[in-house]
Amino acid sequence: MTAPFALAPVAPLAAAQLLGAVILGTLGLSLLLPRPRGRSVALGVFLTLAAGVVTVGFIATTFGGKLATDDLPALVEQGLFWLFSVTALVFAVVLVVQSNPARGAIAFAFVVLSTCGLFLLLAAPFLMAATVIIYAGAVIVTFLFVLMLSHSKGPSDENDRSREPLLGSLAGLAFAGLVLLTLHLSAGRAVDVSEKLLPAAAIRAEDKAELLLAAAELKEAADPATELYRVGGLGHAANARLTAVVGAAAGEGSHLDHRRTMQDRLRYAETDARTADVIRQADELKRLKKAAGDALENALLEPSPDVPALRAKLTELREKTLLLVGRGELPARNVSAVGHALYSEYLIAVELAGTLLLVATIGAVAIAGRKGVSA
Amino acid sequence: MITVWHYLAVAAALFGLGLVGFLTRRNFITMFLCAEMMLQGVVLNLLAFGKMHGDLGGQVFGLFVVTVAACEAGLALALFLTLYRRGKTLDSGAWQSIREAKVPASVDTDPLRVVREVPDPMLTPAGRRPARTEDEVRV
Repeated sequence: MTAPFALAPVAPLAAAQLLGAVILGTLGLSLLLPRPRGRSVALGVFLTLAAGVVTVGFIATTFGGKLATDDLPALVEQGLFWLFSVTALVFAVVLVVQSNPARGAIAFAFVVLSTCGLFLLLAAPFLMAATVIIYAGAVIVTFLFVLMLSHSKGPSDENDRSREPLLGSLAGLAFAGLVLLTLHLSAGRAVDVSEKLLPAAAIRAEDKAELLLAAAELKEAADPATELYRVGGLGHAANARLTAVVGAAAGEGSHLDHRRTMQDRLRYAETDARTADVIRQADELKRLKKAAGDALENALLEPSPDVPALRAKLTELREKTLLLVGRGELPARNVSAVGHALYSEYLIAVELAGTLLLVATIGAVAIAGRKGVSA
Repeated sequence: MITVWHYLAVAAALFGLGLVGFLTRRNFITMFLCAEMMLQGVVLNLLAFGKMHGDLGGQVFGLFVVTVAACEAGLALALFLTLYRRGKTLDSGAWQSIREAKVPASVDTDPLRVVREVPDPMLTPAGRRPARTEDEVRV
């Protein structure tokens, strides 16, 4: 195995794309930013759009942008992703270069709505709804402040001047460009690792022994009579192997496994319907784990294991398991799962966040409530 | 196929644009909105990693980021109000007297564009004033 943090070499095309995007974007933004002299909207819009096109080209060539025309759900996902991302970035540029702060607030609202669409694509419906509600309030308060505090007619220092337009744009965009360059280097490496851990040509004897062990462990985890089932989870060796094959752990289940703690048992014993529901879920998990174990074993017993098919099968099983424990692609049980995580695993953090909000409220009142300090 | 890298790239671009706005703009309210936009990029990162690992930690962390953003918003707006009371302006350049030592002051050289105020259109007075005085009209 190679060194764990060896980076892939930089592709000349990617480097050229990034450099071009940063230079075009810097020039475009510095032309668009408000200032008394030398602001050119038409040329600035053209250069910024060119930078955006080059950036999209970089993302498509580096991370894959081929349209999945044969797979409708994947095609819809791609369409929505590009729609939301491009909208967010366009309105971000509008927010940055807009001299009127009220219009900037409207652009910010659109940025938030688009990122909320991306949150939904990332299987976080609760966070999406919370963000929409919170930032709707934030935008309204911003409007209030704009109406209250800026009553100047015509150009003013704060709205129609920028601090170092060229250097400021260069600093921000060069930062983004370097982050994208790092992503490019790491993405190349990440693909290499998964290929190396499970070579497509042949599985060595010790690999096979380990995978068989993992399959046995998976089956054991599905059997209620064993210790492993009582502990919950799949066991470390099985998970490590599955991580190598699938790219992520299978249904680890741990803190979302409702059979685990005594409190949970008591809580779920309260109503028959809930108990039945939990038992049904546990049975389904058990069945899925057994199916995963069988699939691994069957595939390995063949003379030449079909690795892509095995991977696809295990990925499908993983998706089902994740969906069952509330972490899957669909919003099924996302809210309850987030609530469970918040009030079991992250309880102290929740308390700290509440305290932080209280302290911030007191601080805001102390700062803004002072009377008669006008200089 | 949309991978975690796509989301990371979009988040980085959002963060960079917010940084540009925060560095260059001088209105406190716009600077504040740009900082909020950077936080949106960060939350996007957290959610992408959370989905990659099939774990809820990312979403929980995202919720905490939103909480901290709310605290930040309250304190920032209170500070803007105080600064406005003292300086009667939202211009961050008006407070460069508290800049670091040995840093030269930035001076605005170009004059602002002067916009001539065009008064609202009004109807021209027409007709004649009635001959009778108001006292005569009043009964």
